[in-house]
Amino acid sequence: MKVHVNLDVCQGHAKCEDLCPEVFATDAVEGKCVIKDPEVPAGLEEKVRLAVRNCPEGALRVSNAKGSK
Amino acid sequence: MTLHFQPPPPDHVPPELIVDFDFFKIPEGVTDPAEIWHGLIRRGVPKIFYTPHNGGHWVFTDYDDIVEGYRNYEIFSTYQTPVPPIEPFPVMQPQGVDPPEHNVFRRLMAPMFTPVAVRGMVEELEERAKGLIDQFADKGGCDFISDFAAKYPTGTFLFLFGLSEDRLPEFLELAKVFFRSTDPEERAKNVTDIYAVLEILFREKEKNPGNDIASAIVTARDAEGKQHPWQDILNCGFLLFVAGLDTVTNTLAYIWRYLATTPEARQHFRERLDDPDAFLRAIEELFRINSVSNLFRRITHDVEYKGIQFKQNDRVILPNTLANRDPDVFENPNAIDLDRTVNTHVTFGVGPHRCVGSHLAKREVMVSMQEWLRRIPDFQLDPNEPPSGVFGGSVMGFESLKLVW
Repeated sequence: MKVHVNLDVCQGHAKCEDLCPEVFATDAVEGKCVIKDPEVPAGLEEKVRLAVRNCPEGALRVSNAKGSK
Repeated sequence: MTLHFQPPPPDHVPPELIVDFDFFKIPEGVTDPAEIWHGLIRRGVPKIFYTPHNGGHWVFTDYDDIVEGYRNYEIFSTYQTPVPPIEPFPVMQPQGVDPPEHNVFRRLMAPMFTPVAVRGMVEELEERAKGLIDQFADKGGCDFISDFAAKYPTGTFLFLFGLSEDRLPEFLELAKVFFRSTDPEERAKNVTDIYAVLEILFREKEKNPGNDIASAIVTARDAEGKQHPWQDILNCGFLLFVAGLDTVTNTLAYIWRYLATTPEARQHFRERLDDPDAFLRAIEELFRINSVSNLFRRITHDVEYKGIQFKQNDRVILPNTLANRDPDVFENPNAIDLDRTVNTHVTFGVGPHRCVGSHLAKREVMVSMQEWLRRIPDFQLDPNEPPSGVFGGSVMGFESLKLVW
């Protein structure tokens, strides 16, 4: 599973970082989302999905290798 | 630029969309000011309605429209929006200008309030909270507002701005008038007073810059290497002053009122005192349910939205508390569920003007709860003195909240 952020939409709420700091951080300049590694480590899929659903801007999405969402 | 706010008689407003509603007025016996908004929903008012009170303004009531009001700055501007109108009103930087001009001061502010920056303030915030709590923890009771909730964010503001602590009463008073007064003369004078304070502050910081936000603003340089326009610098200080004080005070008040009456909630948070991540997640629900701000927007041009005709300069109020309890978005919206897993509340707004200080505000609340619950694990509302001085307006809250333990 991969996770992507649209930085034009991200406004730096940092909900993703709060919910799954293993995958998400925020930068020190604008406070926007930084995805440490777009390939979601095994076992963190649920946490990442939850972070995606909690983004108030809808800036995050996940995809998997087969192309489904 | 001078703008003239003579709200036209609402001849473009269909009579069926007019509701008699004054968001400053809390009827006798109402103990939670947010209830005046939720009462509208129970009355079944139109999703978008107009009230002639306070200069006349629209109200959006559901999540989608409130979010649209935040995001669509081409229609819903933040430029000179107060309700009731104050004329002239400062063009707050960056909140009061729309993109792309907005980006200049937003970019200047953003690094000072990122989660990374706020994590660097935690120790200071903890010391401040402890210092205040120490003053009354052994007394068996306090007035939560005057002894803690008002002092804490205002003291933090003084610290961040490199100002002396002994100016606390002066700043508390300025903030109180700004948020509570509906008297046009008093409000206009208050704005002048705040600017006079900021003028002196920034002149001083320009001469002797320190490691504080005021110094960072006044010494910042624009793309051409020049200082930002002086008026913009003052306007940015004005925004930081009005945005981070009363909002945090009353959010704290709402949360303590809830904790005082809900032993399970106190226990829930006590059990997470040593797990900051879990603590932070649980307070999201408190931010959803205790959203004190009602934000204003101004219509940029005559436009039809959702089949309704809006005229240029019409004001719109976006009540966060209504968005946050929209049943189409939140399951069981009126229940406080500290384990709620999906929580896209709009307490800090969304879109380009999303509250730049949100991470600081969250941390102030979190640190306050942690330090308080460590020191005062159980407390109740004073049965002899119920919360009083309930007020509405752009920020809702309580003037007094007596607690005992």
